[in-house]
Amino acid sequence: MLRIDSNRPTYLALRQRWAHYLTVFVALSLIIGGLALRSQIQSAVTRYVDTRIGIEAAYPANWLIETNVDDVAFRVRNMALAGYKSNIQITVRPVSGETTERNIGDQLALERSLVLTDYRVISVEDFDLNGQRAQAITYTYASQESSPFLQGIPIVVEGLDILLIQREQAIVITFRAQAESFESERHYFDRFLQNLEF
Amino acid sequence: MRSRYSYLVFLLACVFIFSSEAQQISDVDIDRIKRSTVFIMQVSSENLSVTCVGTGILVRYDGLIATNAHHVVQSERCPGDTLIIALSVDNDEPSVPRYRASIIQANVGLDLALLQITQQFDGRIIERDSLQALPFVELADSDLVEIDETITVIGYPDFGNSPVTEVRGTISAFIGEPSGGDRSWLKIRTSDASILPGTMSGGGAFDREGRLVGLMTSAPTPPDPDSGNCTTVEDTNADGFINSLDRCIPIGDFISVLRPSDVIRPLLRSASLGLTLELLTSPRFQVSGESSTPEITNLFFSPSVVNGQPTTVLQRVPAGAESLYLFFDYSGMTPETVYEVRVTIDGLPNQTFSLPPVRWSGGTSGLWYIGSGNQTRPNGRYEYRVFVDGLLAATASVVVGGPAEDAPQFSNITFGLLDEQGNLTGSGYVLPTGNIARASFIHRNLEPGTVWTQIWSLDGRPIPEARISAPWQDTGDINTETIPLQAVGGLLPGRYRLELYIDDFLSALGEFIVAGSQAGPLARVFSNVEFRQADSPLSDPTVSPARTYPDGVNTLYIYFDWEQIAPGTLWTLEWAVDGTVFYRQTSPWNAVETGEDFTMRLSAPGGLPDGTYTVSLLINDILLASEEVTVGIGQLPIDRFAQAQGIQLRGQIVDAETGLGIEGATFLLISEDYSVADFTWRRDQLYALAITDRNGRFEIDRPLQFDSPYSVLIEVEGYLPIAADGYEITAETLAEIGGSPIEMLIPLVRD
Repeated sequence: MLRIDSNRPTYLALRQRWAHYLTVFVALSLIIGGLALRSQIQSAVTRYVDTRIGIEAAYPANWLIETNVDDVAFRVRNMALAGYKSNIQITVRPVSGETTERNIGDQLALERSLVLTDYRVISVEDFDLNGQRAQAITYTYASQESSPFLQGIPIVVEGLDILLIQREQAIVITFRAQAESFESERHYFDRFLQNLEF
Repeated sequence: MRSRYSYLVFLLACVFIFSSEAQQISDVDIDRIKRSTVFIMQVSSENLSVTCVGTGILVRYDGLIATNAHHVVQSERCPGDTLIIALSVDNDEPSVPRYRASIIQANVGLDLALLQITQQFDGRIIERDSLQALPFVELADSDLVEIDETITVIGYPDFGNSPVTEVRGTISAFIGEPSGGDRSWLKIRTSDASILPGTMSGGGAFDREGRLVGLMTSAPTPPDPDSGNCTTVEDTNADGFINSLDRCIPIGDFISVLRPSDVIRPLLRSASLGLTLELLTSPRFQVSGESSTPEITNLFFSPSVVNGQPTTVLQRVPAGAESLYLFFDYSGMTPETVYEVRVTIDGLPNQTFSLPPVRWSGGTSGLWYIGSGNQTRPNGRYEYRVFVDGLLAATASVVVGGPAEDAPQFSNITFGLLDEQGNLTGSGYVLPTGNIARASFIHRNLEPGTVWTQIWSLDGRPIPEARISAPWQDTGDINTETIPLQAVGGLLPGRYRLELYIDDFLSALGEFIVAGSQAGPLARVFSNVEFRQADSPLSDPTVSPARTYPDGVNTLYIYFDWEQIAPGTLWTLEWAVDGTVFYRQTSPWNAVETGEDFTMRLSAPGGLPDGTYTVSLLINDILLASEEVTVGIGQLPIDRFAQAQGIQLRGQIVDAETGLGIEGATFLLISEDYSVADFTWRRDQLYALAITDRNGRFEIDRPLQFDSPYSVLIEVEGYLPIAADGYEITAETLAEIGGSPIEMLIPLVRD
């Protein structure tokens, strides 16, 4: 007659042990794979080439792209965001041989002060753009972009312009996001700048 | 897979709520039209007081507004310098100021102006193309409008305290003038006999399809508190009281006429294409009327009008007459002059044939007419009283009734030159300079021996040697007679008139212009029309002319030579693109008599749109020169936003759990050429895009078209997206769900 002693330790068979190890391994693999997939989706990019102005860029996938609207050569927006849609844009304008980044920055400030509500320049700093000298201007304004027939409340937007002059044209690379989420969204822009070629 | 699931969710989630207004007036898209109707406040920037108010109507998605000139153009009556545009955000509530606008086209005489929204209400400039597409209306063909046709007029009935108002009515009559032919004005009558206040002036009248038939127009009234047409609402002199010492806001007379859409169309076409035409040849003469005081003289009646001239002069009108026109000479008139014609029949005022006070749309002096055709006139004694600036200027009367009489009569005067066979040739109303001009006319029932008189005049002054009075002699011709005008030293350039009298009663009158040299049967007045290109309005044109230019050309210079045009001669410059007139101006000639290279400049900020441009030069409505130039592909580009009509789509996106609106959600309506799977997040693949407001409400800013399978994608962070293909609306389904606008309620599930 077989008796089971409940106080006696239970030993798993080798097969059972391996089954447990495999289960844990598969679970961990799935978690890691899921995280990797999520990361891949989040960091997925779409390539963009504009031979007219000579730029090649990679922007976040599933951002809405517009090209050649007025003086904006390229603009992408994250339409999935609630509130203000973070965006990256590139504008190109002709310059003379004596124009400096600072001149362009002043022009932008004058123009924007007429168009944007409560436009304020926060800082002007030198910037290293993939080894090239550039200037970074940080600013804020209140955005009111909703339909005139709807009830929109202004949103405080923070913007960052990277200005550089190359081949007798000024290139202004701009990132704008809701002020509260500017830093958390900034990585999109940093990655965009890393991949930008012109 | 996600798409299929989302499609089911989308179909289940959409709840259609229908507008009660649309059900009441199913034949007119009244909601869209009301939203297109704006309240205009002219404001003085000095003390921020309102100086004039009126209504306007959006005629393009990019903020182009048609309205009357008298309440927006700066003047003594309306001295403000800033235009505030208030929109009907909720059609049941008063309008809300949203924008500022600038005048881009104005014709004070026609009392028409086109405004462009250029700034936000707080003064911020609106960048080009950044204005959200606004609801607007299309223009109807006002030539197709018929008497007794039902219309809906829409405007603001007071100073902005009330919401935009609609009134049903009918077209009751047409009134003809030289400014716009037989349909210069459309008379309207409200169905409930209600009065349309002056603040509705500039608002629209719409046909059953919701297209703009005409612009309600009333004359401006002086800012006089005692007139009853002016209201004081602000302490403009800052003395702490609102009284008669403060400036009041003129509200205009009651409205009973429309400026038809066909008169608005040229202004709209040039404004929407951004075209600017400048006449660069410096004026050498200041052409003005002989008298600064307006005068109306020499009134008579004619049964019909040909080329702006009376066919004959009537002393009595037979019963059943359908056409009657009052002609008169005018002088000293200006575009600011207000004139009015009151008609009584047997002493009783008649609204159908009367013209309420309106701005003068003619020149400084000349021959004018007012009347109508194709409208049977009841018998009676018609008295026409012409008022100028509120004062009675002239009266004339005629009796309608009785049988047609066989009274002696002259009619249908035309002018020309005799060819070798002795036939009268030429344009009929413009003759070249030379030794002799001839007039041909029809005569009826003239007995030999009847005394008749011919009186010729040049620029209003009779030519004594050409006055002939003699007994009528039967020439044997079949009712036509030709008489010469021969001047010693030749006919000088100018405006000539022939008056024919029978027994001292005026029987016929005709005018012609002598200008240019003889080139066959026609006068050669304008020649060598040339086009040259320039890189910008500030740069010099190219040396060699051309007829074809590549797309993107910024500026065209146009030159022509001219011969022997008397200063003050009315000439007409007309421009058309792809056959549609966008500029037509008749003005007195103010250059020297003969010259070369009269210069015009046609430009547009972003370059001239591709198209075939035609310039035409006319005198007395006779085409004397015309040339074409082609830019780009020679055809205007298709404007994908140009269609105003369709189905309005709006709604609310809410949290499925809480039912609260989701702010900042994106509603993407993908063009019918793409499915959700094909959509690669390119802006040009979208038909429209909307973002929800603080309450989760959204509006699609372009009307949807019937039978177009759109795809929908709704996204917002924190919720499962919705994607659906084949969202299509047919006329039948729209009728089933109650009509436009369609309201959607879309719940989203948290992810």
